[in-house]
Amino acid sequence: MSHFDIERPIVKLPEQQPEQQIPDEELVWTDEEQERIEERKAKYPDPKSAIMDLLWMAQEKYDYLPPEAIRLCADTLDMDYARAYGVATFYTQYYKEEKGKFVLDVCTCFSCQMMGGYDILHYLEEKLGIHKGETTDDGLFTVEEVECLGCCGSAPMMQVTNGPYVHNLTKDKVDALLDDLKDGNMPPFVSVTLPQDEDEMGGNRRSDVEATETYQTPPRSEAVK
Amino acid sequence: MPTVEIDGQVYTYDDDRHDKLLQFCLDHDIELPHFCYHPSMSIPANCRQCLVQVGTPERDRATGELVTDEEGNPNIQFMPGMQTSCTIGLQDGMVVKTHRTSDAVREAQKDTLEFLLINHPLDCPICDQAGHCPLQIQAYKYGPEGSRFEFRKVHKPKRVKLGPRVTLDAERCINCTRCTRFTDEISESGQLTINNRGVRNYPITAPGEDFDEAYSMNTIDLCPVGALTASDFRFKARIWEMSSSPSIVTTNATGANCEYWVRDNKVLRITPRQNMEVNEYWLPDEDRLVYDRFNDDRPEGPQVRSNGQLVNANWTQAYAKAAALLGPVDGDRIQFVGSAYATVEDNYLLTQLAEHLGADTPVYMPHIEPGAGDDWLITDDKTPNAQGCERLGIREADMQMLRTRIQNGEIDVLYVLEDDPVASELCALADLEDVDVILHYYNTTNETLPAVDVALPAAMVVETVGTYVNQDGRAQRVRPAKAIQGVNRTLMMEMGTSREDEHGTPFDRWHNESHRINCKPSWEILPQIADRVGLDLDYAKGPQAIMNEVQSALDAFEGATYDAMGLQGVALEDAEAGEPA
Ligand code: SF4
Ligand code: FES
Ligand code: FES
Repeated sequence: MSHFDIERPIVKLPEQQPEQQIPDEELVWTDEEQERIEERKAKYPDPKSAIMDLLWMAQEKYDYLPPEAIRLCADTLDMDYARAYGVATFYTQYYKEEKGKFVLDVCTCFSCQMMGGYDILHYLEEKLGIHKGETTDDGLFTVEEVECLGCCGSAPMMQVTNGPYVHNLTKDKVDALLDDLKDGNMPPFVSVTLPQDEDEMGGNRRSDVEATETYQTPPRSEAVK
Repeated sequence: MPTVEIDGQVYTYDDDRHDKLLQFCLDHDIELPHFCYHPSMSIPANCRQCLVQVGTPERDRATGELVTDEEGNPNIQFMPGMQTSCTIGLQDGMVVKTHRTSDAVREAQKDTLEFLLINHPLDCPICDQAGHCPLQIQAYKYGPEGSRFEFRKVHKPKRVKLGPRVTLDAERCINCTRCTRFTDEISESGQLTINNRGVRNYPITAPGEDFDEAYSMNTIDLCPVGALTASDFRFKARIWEMSSSPSIVTTNATGANCEYWVRDNKVLRITPRQNMEVNEYWLPDEDRLVYDRFNDDRPEGPQVRSNGQLVNANWTQAYAKAAALLGPVDGDRIQFVGSAYATVEDNYLLTQLAEHLGADTPVYMPHIEPGAGDDWLITDDKTPNAQGCERLGIREADMQMLRTRIQNGEIDVLYVLEDDPVASELCALADLEDVDVILHYYNTTNETLPAVDVALPAAMVVETVGTYVNQDGRAQRVRPAKAIQGVNRTLMMEMGTSREDEHGTPFDRWHNESHRINCKPSWEILPQIADRVGLDLDYAKGPQAIMNEVQSALDAFEGATYDAMGLQGVALEDAEAGEPA
């Protein structure tokens, strides 16, 4: 029997009778938010399409999305609660539980997996002493396993708290990243440039970013035979 | 007419129907494996099981002319990838290769199944769906032999109570989204959604919500695997231990078509049967959960009152007693009460008996629950045959007036067909003290029983042969699904044909003596009593002959012969009720 490197292939049932986290009086939109919602709704032929915008707003407002926040969004758009819940659970970018200060979303989808995504994930898990989906006791880090983040070219990669990507990960890079984060320093937005850009465009296709990194053929994962 | 060629055979098609290839194939008995497609819902093409190769005739880009080879045949350009037949519309000249003619298609279908089965638990030996599971059947027919996946599977929640009536085993789910599309598009309750993503997804309600809509159990029939099962039926019986008989439900006036599933003469579940004129593919939950009433609280043979006590009797004694009560009484002091629960045939015989004895035409007691209906398959009227009664000229009883007549002692004999006057609040038990009551009844819970003088256990819809007319005037036949005690040739013959899958005759191995109820269809009881009061109601061929007479004698039933009604029923003309032809 081969060994498959997913530690916990168990999918848990979401809490069926969840306790309310946000008190009723806070489950309202401010006038300002209301205005923004109207704007968003006007963008789509079917206003219900604004559900992703609304979920995002709610997440910014409450830090995460307990069921009652998802319901608030659904009710605002007059759509089925279940539907909104389906959208919220599809995207790992929506946090359904309270997370640590920094959320480390390690991609283990196909390209990253081939390039060692699981090596990085397991290294992080070991280093922080938690399993994916868990948060360190100091509330600083949450480790998540996510699907393709659309940056396969610089696999393996991760995203920090729905923000900057960290590319071409190695264990050293992970160490440095954790140290930086502990000091409160978010990694900068790095634009990965292709080798041909180096020659043709002076190294950077984009003029609006400071940090660039040149694409390199990454090492193959040791775990992949 | 435009044509398509499928596996070398040319078919013409009707362009206006905008048929999809898969539906067209299914309509022409060309089997194509598929899971997510359902004709009544949107087409997500997510299971990828219906793959075929599709080509179209090449046209010259400049001239638009068909390009032909040396022999003048059109040059067919095949699309580079496999196409999902459920989404592809028919096109004139289209050429299709299915697994019958293409190795590539066979391979593709096999590979798709291998993917679908990767995280599937393969627990068919304990799965309710086994035996009629599209995944199981198609895996055998089109799938790979054995599995190459020797890793740990992804495990998902099991025994999830989605609602009061539906239980989910998420591991078995192949995420075809049929169930969520049903709640979105058909019942529009919006209660289900697909949760999470990738290998981790499965359908669920929003947190804290119940999947409790009135049609929730339809998702069980839709589910092409054993992921959604009926909470009440789980692990009760294997599909091959049961026989199924096509019939209709009698919970309300829709007359939805159904199958009764029976093992050892017990009805274990009720599922919908397709009839596009009535219930399409669907059946409300309340129609499915009434099977207990066919099995429990059933009487053990007829009873007659003697010295103030109801005592067991044999059928002959019961007939004689009923005749003795009816015979000497003046016709206008007998009240016959027909039944919107009973068949047209039974009610018809009752009208004849009433006429012979000089009594008024029977009336029937209405069972309306205002507001219970939903303008879909659930109606306010909780009886299956009010329309049939009306068409026979049996009118709704004026309950108030009838009650007064009983209370004033104007009635000596109350003859009730398959109903319950006390529970229906026609009168109280005390009002019936001086009235002789003859009752055809289904269950021992019948509240009128304490006042009854002759108690005649009647066969229920699952044990009889007969006709019901739904609220829209559609006459539909019922067939026996389970056997009763005693020998009745008509029932035995009907049983043989109504359980074609497993033959319910005494000569096959499914035959079973247990749980047979000592009851008789009212069309057998009534002629026996009639005979004893001097009326010949002998229809040698039973209800079929009765219905033949009804449909030729009464305009309102014209054309409703057993042959014409078949399995889908006959829409009756609107005609003046009770009018002779
Ligand atoms: S539960 Fe059944 S019907 Fe629903 S998505 Fe899964 S396989 Fe399809
Ligand atoms: S697979 Fe990791 S970013 Fe695409
Ligand atoms: S039936 Fe065509 S993809 Fe599912």
